[in-house]
Amino acid sequence: MRRLFAVAAALALSCAAVPAHAQIGSFDGPAKPKQYIEFAAEPQTIPAGKRTLVELHFQVGEGFHVNSHTPKSELLIPTNLTITSADGITVAQPAYPAGKPYSFSFDPTDKLDVYSGSFLIKLPVTASAGAHALTGTLRYQACDNAACYPPRTLAISIPITAR
Amino acid sequence: MVAGICLMLWAGWHNLRARKLALQQAQENHVTLIPESGKANANSPAASADSAPPDDALRGKKAPAFTLTTLDGKKISLSDYKGRPVLVNFWATWCAPCKLEMPWFEEFRQKYGSQGFEILGISEDDAPKEEIVKAVKRINVSYPILLTDGKVAPAYGGVDYLPESFYVGRDGVVAIETSGLASKDEVEANIKRLIAGANTAPANAVAATAAHPAALLLPSAVSTH
Repeated sequence: MRRLFAVAAALALSCAAVPAHAQIGSFDGPAKPKQYIEFAAEPQTIPAGKRTLVELHFQVGEGFHVNSHTPKSELLIPTNLTITSADGITVAQPAYPAGKPYSFSFDPTDKLDVYSGSFLIKLPVTASAGAHALTGTLRYQACDNAACYPPRTLAISIPITAR
Repeated sequence: MVAGICLMLWAGWHNLRARKLALQQAQENHVTLIPESGKANANSPAASADSAPPDDALRGKKAPAFTLTTLDGKKISLSDYKGRPVLVNFWATWCAPCKLEMPWFEEFRQKYGSQGFEILGISEDDAPKEEIVKAVKRINVSYPILLTDGKVAPAYGGVDYLPESFYVGRDGVVAIETSGLASKDEVEANIKRLIAGANTAPANAVAATAAHPAALLLPSAVSTH
């Protein structure tokens, strides 16, 4: 009987809880097939034939951080952008921002080098006149204040118009 | 007068229409939000609840059996440690908080080893073995480090993030389950509980958790099973 009540209560609770969760919905949070970084794929217009720095805006989910491009330990997985050149459009080495120091609360002496909030990668692009699509990936590894999530690869596509 | 009433009626209708429109718009917004929040649903609170059940999913249950290879090529099974309190810890070379607590584990192994306590560190890495060996040397732990076979984590509830620890009692039952980094004191308290619990009242400790209605009341536990 007590068990039956518990199950009924649980069902009631889950009914009440699910819509609440659906409403809260943000992209971050510990979950299964998820990303901890969002990419704002703004279409960019650049002068044709002239090397231009294209700014790529990334947003790390609230409460999370990812290693910077140059973490302090070689074992940590750096944030790495891979964009391939295509017909009529070539890219050079991206410029990464500097990381911010971060340490887990139980060991304030161990400083990591991370990105959190929004960060910006600058990518030198040279394109011939016309419409192009740059595609690539951002590989990163995210943690929150107590746990780390397996490395992820975020697919990236940037529409570029050169004129 | 008639005109006034008409005006009032019209105003009322207009107002209603505006409200309906607003409602419709709100609903439209809602609809467009759903695919995203559906994705997010898996992510956010629901999912933190989703990943929370691992906190309790195995508690009171028999620890899933495994046989894995150590860094020096030996086969080790959980059943080899039957009758001993064992801490099964999932970690990875890229996991900073894991590497923070591992030296604590080593210290407690020295301290409580005489009471049969052992630690098995399962490396959830796809890095080459040499990398793991290098990391273990640097972290400076001497307890067995086992290489994942890709099946052990799913058996332990997925281990979606690291570190995760399963405190397995002398009876082979998971007494405590923790996810994420805890304080050193908490880790030691868990180890003490594990050693003591298995010594004094093994059945009671397990029965208490299993019978605890709160365990059944977790909405996530219901939605995921």
